Amino acid sequence: MKMYFASFQDLLTMDGHGIYVWSTVIVTLLIMIWLLVAPILSRRALLKEVARDILRERARQTSPTNTQGES
Amino acid sequence: MSWQWFHRLGSPRWFYHNSARWLAWLCPIAAAVVLGGLVWGLAIAPEDAKQGNSFRIIYLHVPASFLALAGYYIMAIAGAVGLIWKMKLSYMVMKSAAPIGAALTFIALFSGAIWGKPTWGTYWVWDARITSMLILLFLYLGVMALQYAYHSIDAASKAGAILGLVGTVNIPIIYKSVDWWFTLHQPATIKFTSAPSMHPDMFQPLLVMIVGFYLFYAVALILHTRSEILRRERKTSWVRELLNEKNQDVADKKVGKS
Amino acid sequence: MANSINSGFHAWLKRDLLLAYRRRGEAASPLVFFVMVSTLIPLGLTPESARLAEVAAGMIWVMALLATLLSVDGLFASDYQDGSLEQLLITPQLLPMPLLGKITAHWLTTGLPLTLVSPLLGLMLSLPASGYLPMICSLALGTACLSLTGAVGAALTVSLRKGGLLLSLLVMPLYMPVIIFGTATVTYAIDGLNWLPPLAILGALFAASVALCPLAAAGGLRITSAN
Repeated sequence: MKMYFASFQDLLTMDGHGIYVWSTVIVTLLIMIWLLVAPILSRRALLKEVARDILRERARQTSPTNTQGES
Repeated sequence: MSWQWFHRLGSPRWFYHNSARWLAWLCPIAAAVVLGGLVWGLAIAPEDAKQGNSFRIIYLHVPASFLALAGYYIMAIAGAVGLIWKMKLSYMVMKSAAPIGAALTFIALFSGAIWGKPTWGTYWVWDARITSMLILLFLYLGVMALQYAYHSIDAASKAGAILGLVGTVNIPIIYKSVDWWFTLHQPATIKFTSAPSMHPDMFQPLLVMIVGFYLFYAVALILHTRSEILRRERKTSWVRELLNEKNQDVADKKVGKS
Repeated sequence: MANSINSGFHAWLKRDLLLAYRRRGEAASPLVFFVMVSTLIPLGLTPESARLAEVAAGMIWVMALLATLLSVDGLFASDYQDGSLEQLLITPQLLPMPLLGKITAHWLTTGLPLTLVSPLLGLMLSLPASGYLPMICSLALGTACLSLTGAVGAALTVSLRKGGLLLSLLVMPLYMPVIIFGTATVTYAIDGLNWLPPLAILGALFAASVALCPLAAAGGLRITSAN
């Protein structure tokens, strides 16, 4: 498979249409990357939240002020 | 007949644990196909006789449109499965599919608009395809907004599923109506290069990109569903165990154990 | 007698008509909106007859659609607030039938008046003479479809705060085929073509809506008790 364009410069400009094609490519790739990164970030944040919840619960259980009278 | 596999499929915990393994091989394959197809289409395929190099946008526009429409049906089917079998995991998949589909619809609209400028001199043309894509975007936004507005997760899922089904019934009607409306008002001078009549050198990378986008969609859907599972199941014991395992791994690494 | 399949229909039709009559002022507001906003069109566009005639059919249809959209929000709202919606959900009758009664009452108090007033607006907007009968027929069928489809959206959003905005978003895509074929009926007639085919398609949309929308609305209403 050889490249259709004569040089890398040609690939970028594409006879004047380069700006349209490349802006589309960049925006599309950014959105696609965002679709993959966002859930990973939120998963990490959720795991941290769950860890905090566990710590908070443990603290509440072992806390000296937690008496039988508390409803 | 043993339906055990089906009900096991509905367990969020099962999905969470197994999807990690699936992603391990799915991600590299998806990346390879998408990037390979993109290089093929942008740099190697010949340019179009009439449109020049701007037609290369097709390698993003068409796969995105396919997945946008297919994604709506995936979302609606997930909702239907959730309604019929009361499967929580199915509702989670439905909720995850919505923003992915909406983003892909936006990509389709954006790429279509940019493609229009060098081709017809304007960014927006009310042709049947773009108008249908716009309506699809509204349908997606509606399902997302409806689920967001409800307080109870159960009610939100059911409402989203019903709306998804209503949209499913309507999509063919809407598409056909818009198609008809467009031919009514404009002579058929504007036509995208339709796939079958394309030269194979230009058509093959398009097929690769479509496959690549399907793989990308699968990866994105699995990632979003995993995140949704954690969000909804955070109070369960298996999630707590998961966290303990992770903390144990981190602690082990710190101590230097293998 | 109480359990026959259509016993809910008449009861709720009469009830909603009576309620609308008691609040005549409120019930008339979609109609007033329709007429008022159609007066804005010449002010916004042009007073020239010829140019108005070009857009009259579409404009009247869009105004009718907006008027119906604004009114459909109230289909279940007051019932939800005073608890009669819950009563509706626990009656032994099949839920779609009372809903069909309510929707019919809604159409009788919004869609039908809009349809009957449309010739007046046609006059004001220089609608060509051949367009009047198609306008009335298409609006009659079309507003019925809009009421039915709007009820589905109203059912899904009745228990939400600010449900009205969300309702418009949900229901807009579903309204598009109706307006496409509704306007086409009128423009076909104005252009001298046979206007029955698009009207027939509108009729098919109406038939499908009558069959399916009450079911979907019933499903949507059952969720409200869970929210």
